[in-house]
Amino acid sequence: MSAKQESPKVLVHGVGNKAFIEDLKKKRVKGVFVMEGRPHLFGAKILCRALLKEEITPTLISDNMAGFLFYKNLVKEVWVGYQSVNGEKALCEVGSLLLGVLGKKHQITVNLFPLAKKRKELGKTEDITCFNSKRIAPVGVKGYVPLLENLSKKYITGIIIR
Amino acid sequence: MDETLLPSKFRYIKVTNTKQAVDVIRQMKTRAFGQLLVVLNTFLLEIRNVRAIPVSPAGGHELPLLRRLQKTAEALNASRPTFPFFEITEMVMGWARDAFSKKTDIKATLERNINGYLQGIRQRRLERVKKIAAVIKDGQKVLTHCNVSGELSMAAQLCKEQNKKVAYFVTETRPYFQGAKLTCWELKRFGADVTLVADNAVGNLMANKMIDMIIVGSDRSCANGDIANKIGTYQIAVLAKEFDVPLYALTQPSNRIPKGEDIPIEIRQPEELLKSTGTNIAPKGTKAFYPGFDVVSHELITEPIAIDVR
Repeated sequence: MSAKQESPKVLVHGVGNKAFIEDLKKKRVKGVFVMEGRPHLFGAKILCRALLKEEITPTLISDNMAGFLFYKNLVKEVWVGYQSVNGEKALCEVGSLLLGVLGKKHQITVNLFPLAKKRKELGKTEDITCFNSKRIAPVGVKGYVPLLENLSKKYITGIIIR
Repeated sequence: MDETLLPSKFRYIKVTNTKQAVDVIRQMKTRAFGQLLVVLNTFLLEIRNVRAIPVSPAGGHELPLLRRLQKTAEALNASRPTFPFFEITEMVMGWARDAFSKKTDIKATLERNINGYLQGIRQRRLERVKKIAAVIKDGQKVLTHCNVSGELSMAAQLCKEQNKKVAYFVTETRPYFQGAKLTCWELKRFGADVTLVADNAVGNLMANKMIDMIIVGSDRSCANGDIANKIGTYQIAVLAKEFDVPLYALTQPSNRIPKGEDIPIEIRQPEELLKSTGTNIAPKGTKAFYPGFDVVSHELITEPIAIDVR
């Protein structure tokens, strides 16, 4: 298998409301890349299900694979979920900042959609030292678990759905 | 050592032939520097099995042995595409062919050269550990990704002996969790202060000035200084440039490939990403894409910390 077998797609990060996904369908989007969204895997578990319901095929990637997609010109545009927005920045799903910076470097439009549910800004250590309820890290390891992060307006180059 | 079982189990895998060695590599039971050890030890294994080879009228034991080693080299070269297996097997086969043409004992030559080479590498790695420790200053916070085959943990130990207080942030490194499982385990064994982060939290760390430097390894180097490393290194490097965080890469320079774009990148099976310990993490119908490595341009590397492995 080679990277050439993948075609460029929209990259979505965060779980949006039904209207956002229906909007993708209206735009005749057939397939999107989805970041799995550690620590809770909302991308893998919830977003993928919602997309499949609308007959949009999700292609799941781990959160560390986004850079590769940009490097190989496989990202058409980026959509990230936000919780709040003001004139300077948006409070977005963690991981949005890396997408914003990659979007800026590779000149790919970064758009925002509202997250379906409100989230806390920080999770617990156990959220990251465990995966799917199974412990992965040794005892004594601490965890830093941001769930949201600020995305400066300089990285938001597309539209913001209110 | 089966790296995929850590930290819950510590188990060695017995490898008795080339096929098993290739399986260990393909299944990622060991990776990075461990692969180099597997390659060299597989050659040692095959030459120790030499008694099983029938005597050839053309060249005694030597010609069949040379052919057998060539098959081993080809199998190892075909195991995974990104790591430069060919460069190591070619070196060993060069020694073997040289001994054959000089009508000297191939077995004795390879044992001597491989053991000498391994001793040299061990020494150079220890020297590099000192360089890594010298780069890390007292009070600094270091981010690392995946696993740099023990050298960071040895540097952490050295820093501790030098009374430097250092905190380490480790990315979990999905989907195999080499950061969460292996790097955290290694660092904790040396009593280091370790914090695990999701792969998507690296921008947050840098934007909030929570780290002072990044240290990563590399699986392959190019003539122009580009490297290939575990998937996720590229986005870390781009973020590091954006937020002005120095990025140090442990490299093994090579001129065989001109630039990063020419490095073959392994694309692994989607199931490895879609399943975790046998359980699906996404609903049926979801596809997955799993590139195993990415390429970092030399322009994004603040300073390579190199050792010569040739």
